Amino acid sequence: MALLQILISGLATGAIYALVAVGFMLLWQTSQTINFAQGEFVMLPAFFVLGAMKFGGMPFWLAIVVGLLLSLIVLGVLFKVLLVDPMLRHGVLPLVISTIALALFFKEGVKTWYAAEAQPFPALWSNDNLEIGGAVISVQNLVIIVVAVTAVLALQWFLARTRTGRCMQATAQNPALARILGVRVERMILYTFLINAALVALASFLISPIYLAKFSNGETLGMAAFIAAIVGGFNQVRGAIAGGLLLGVVDNLAASYISTQYRGAIPLFLLIAVILFRPQGLLGRAEERSV
Amino acid sequence: MATELATGHILELQGVVAGYGKMMVLKGASFKVARGAITTIIGPNGAGKSTVFKAVFGLLKPQSGRILFDGCDITGWQQRRLLEAGICYVPQGRNIFPELSVRHNLELGGVAAGRGIDLQARIEGVMQRFPMLRHKADAQASTLSGGQQKLLEIARGLLLDPRLVLIDEPSIGLSPLLVQETFGILAGLRDKGVTILMVEQNARSALQMSDRGIVLETGETRIEDTAANVLADPRIGQLFLGGGLAPKAG
Repeated sequence: MALLQILISGLATGAIYALVAVGFMLLWQTSQTINFAQGEFVMLPAFFVLGAMKFGGMPFWLAIVVGLLLSLIVLGVLFKVLLVDPMLRHGVLPLVISTIALALFFKEGVKTWYAAEAQPFPALWSNDNLEIGGAVISVQNLVIIVVAVTAVLALQWFLARTRTGRCMQATAQNPALARILGVRVERMILYTFLINAALVALASFLISPIYLAKFSNGETLGMAAFIAAIVGGFNQVRGAIAGGLLLGVVDNLAASYISTQYRGAIPLFLLIAVILFRPQGLLGRAEERSV
Repeated sequence: MATELATGHILELQGVVAGYGKMMVLKGASFKVARGAITTIIGPNGAGKSTVFKAVFGLLKPQSGRILFDGCDITGWQQRRLLEAGICYVPQGRNIFPELSVRHNLELGGVAAGRGIDLQARIEGVMQRFPMLRHKADAQASTLSGGQQKLLEIARGLLLDPRLVLIDEPSIGLSPLLVQETFGILAGLRDKGVTILMVEQNARSALQMSDRGIVLETGETRIEDTAANVLADPRIGQLFLGGGLAPKAG
């Protein structure tokens, strides 16, 4: 039953990718922000927690709360106010390049001011394994899948079923019209940044106990989220979810059955194939843009 | 400013100068819009017709001049405040949220509704009036035909019971039959006391169903009269064929 094991761990990795990809895509939709620092956004909250424990002497649970709040402030509000708002006035490309600079800053900052080595991160749940029909399933992985899926479903519910959520969708689909109807467009965009900050913080807390907290963790994660969003379809939340899960499973299958050396290449093959044959993504919708 | 009320004007532009960047499209436009009537603004391309709406609806800050609504200076107000005051704006082209349902598109017309307003009842009321919307309530708005989308836009604008409707090129992309239907809806609103200010490229048929007409040219008001008089004015044909109306200098 090795296959079941691989599928479960693939889905767990994929669920993390999905969380990060959904946030990535929401930012793009509502504020044309292609956030190339998204991977570093996942790396950083773990260090907020570790820092709160180390320098603030806080217990783990309190440090998690502080880590989440700091993420909302730094990766949500400050990111929008200090970087996105001023740069977006100059166009999308300057903004994209600034996010690359921000990624470097976060990465090198953590390396310089905290640690260059991987740091152990306390587990939120037990590290036990379950045996189901001969397959060894880690509880961690199951928890990741359940928590991530719940978070994404709750977000979907919020966007579709609440009036605020629909105002956010309206802002993403046609901001000029939303403004004409009296939607508080600026506030909706801020909500998107806060949601993204919460998603990356959650991903960070889920993944760091397994992969340890390291300054360079964002490199693979950011790329994976980017690929997942494109593979799934850039304009659909469910596309980003599907893309994330698919990528996680393919990644784990490839590592087990083909070669761990080609592990990094498989997602890129997937990306190229999708761009060539289905550029709108697996679940995406072709988009027309006036230039 | 009781004078505007007394003379029966709901909207007045006083020397409005507005444009994009350094290019001014409106160069001191002034005119009055009669309460409870349909007024159509016509003029050649680039005359500033749509810019009038953007300036009134706070989407463009006038460089100078004033805009009065019911005698109250509304220059530069936020959209939410204008909606609350009773103005709604239906822009040119397709203005729907394609991936939301018809019902949710309608509901977004009530975003600026105050606490005292029962939005569900208003939505029901609008659906009563336009049964097509009820029939299609749960369909994605992108599945509506062009005429149905325009109807949805107008219905959405009516959700807050506006006193003044600004509607930009309602006939664009619609078949002649649908144009008549849309004009019919606007006439029905006028009969209920709503003031309509419309911009139309389709000048003749728009003026035929209007009470008053305004001719704009190069950002200034040239004619402000009853629709019948504007229609009968021999200079109109000349204007659209490219000749200017401004008195020749020198």
